[in-house]
Amino acid sequence: MKMKSILSFTFSLLFGGMMAWGQTTTPATKDSIPVKKDTVAPKKDKYGLRVGVDLFKLSRSFYDENYRGLELTGDFRLTRKHYLAVELGNEKKTVQEDHFNFTTNGSFIRVGFDYNSYENWTGMNNQVYTGLRYGFSSFSQTLNSYSIYYPNSTFPTPLIAPNTEFSGLTAHWAEVVAGVKAEIFSNFFMGFSFRLNYLISEKTPATFANLYIPGFNRTYEGRFGVGFNYTVSYLVPLFKVTVKDAATLEKERKAKEAAKAKKMEAKLAREAKKKR
Amino acid sequence: MMRYTALLLLGFLFVFSGCEKDDICSDTSPTTPRLVIEFYNVTDTDTLKNVTNLRIKAQGMSDDITFNNVNKIQVPLNPGLDTATYEFIQNGADTDTTNDNTDRITFNYSRSTFYVSRACGYKLNFQLNTTNGVVIEDNTPADGLWISNPTLVQSNLTNENEVHLKLYF
Repeated sequence: MKMKSILSFTFSLLFGGMMAWGQTTTPATKDSIPVKKDTVAPKKDKYGLRVGVDLFKLSRSFYDENYRGLELTGDFRLTRKHYLAVELGNEKKTVQEDHFNFTTNGSFIRVGFDYNSYENWTGMNNQVYTGLRYGFSSFSQTLNSYSIYYPNSTFPTPLIAPNTEFSGLTAHWAEVVAGVKAEIFSNFFMGFSFRLNYLISEKTPATFANLYIPGFNRTYEGRFGVGFNYTVSYLVPLFKVTVKDAATLEKERKAKEAAKAKKMEAKLAREAKKKR
Repeated sequence: MMRYTALLLLGFLFVFSGCEKDDICSDTSPTTPRLVIEFYNVTDTDTLKNVTNLRIKAQGMSDDITFNNVNKIQVPLNPGLDTATYEFIQNGADTDTTNDNTDRITFNYSRSTFYVSRACGYKLNFQLNTTNGVVIEDNTPADGLWISNPTLVQSNLTNENEVHLKLYF
């Protein structure tokens, strides 16, 4: 357990570094040869569909025999700072507790948006983002074996293996996301995110509990849970949008104000007419 | 905004650091109950009476449990079977074997399983049979019964906070 923590920490550091590297790889646009006019090439943002996979779940499927999971991620840029985000996947996890052993198996989907708070320089496409998700999971729990907990007993407690499957279970939850994505090559991104989950509702088995929910992860006494993913993704660029510079923005603002003033004037004129 | 995000990330790390296995079934959690027996004076049936050097031993088990100077004892029932037979040996916990008196008590019951929690797992509740829930027999060779008049107060065993059975001697 500790080893795993160290491993994930090291990787996080590594990617922190990669993020920094990602910032330096893209050279700033240079004014080419003889400069005649003092103009800057318009800044353009890439828009498109980004698809990826969670490396954490994928790799864990290989080294942990009690786990099999896959999570695909996707996001679509809506505005300069907003992204529509989706994650969907499947998990099967067997857990050995003190007095019983169970397997959770099911699929999940999370839908929401990300808000990029990172001010990119020209040509950069990195993200430091926060976001919200709505999560839904459909799954089954199998109670593989258990032994009755009987403290202070002189009798042996036999291990019972009922292999009872509780199917048709569901859970709904909300997530607060915080993460980073760094463009390491053109259109290739690496990133990680942390999630704080809040379980809204769940359908629990009659004689068991949802101790693990695919997509939500381990449940605790309360309604909160935590999540983590570690993604590599590819951006399918669909179009580019020119970023408005300060002068254009100012012009637009002024135009808007003028329109507003005109409207107001018209309204006042109409009212004055009515009075007469 | 940037600073806020960094703080949030730190917060998440803190939450993660608490992910170590920390759940242990606490003593206050409702787990499989033992049978709670109270001893009363046979001549003055409203008065509690302490047992001295009582030794109880479940049939087929090597471990025994001893009680001294208490009027309330807890007896575990067999979680694997619908019956448990105990030898209640008066003065059995002392070194003198000549004053021992053994009565055999058989408990017959049904079991039902309940889920408690991640840490405690599953517990049993016992329901003592109405006809033959508690059966007292003398030992062989016979040395006379020292326990009399078993009175079932609560046949449904769900916790150890209440008395289930009264015995008189």
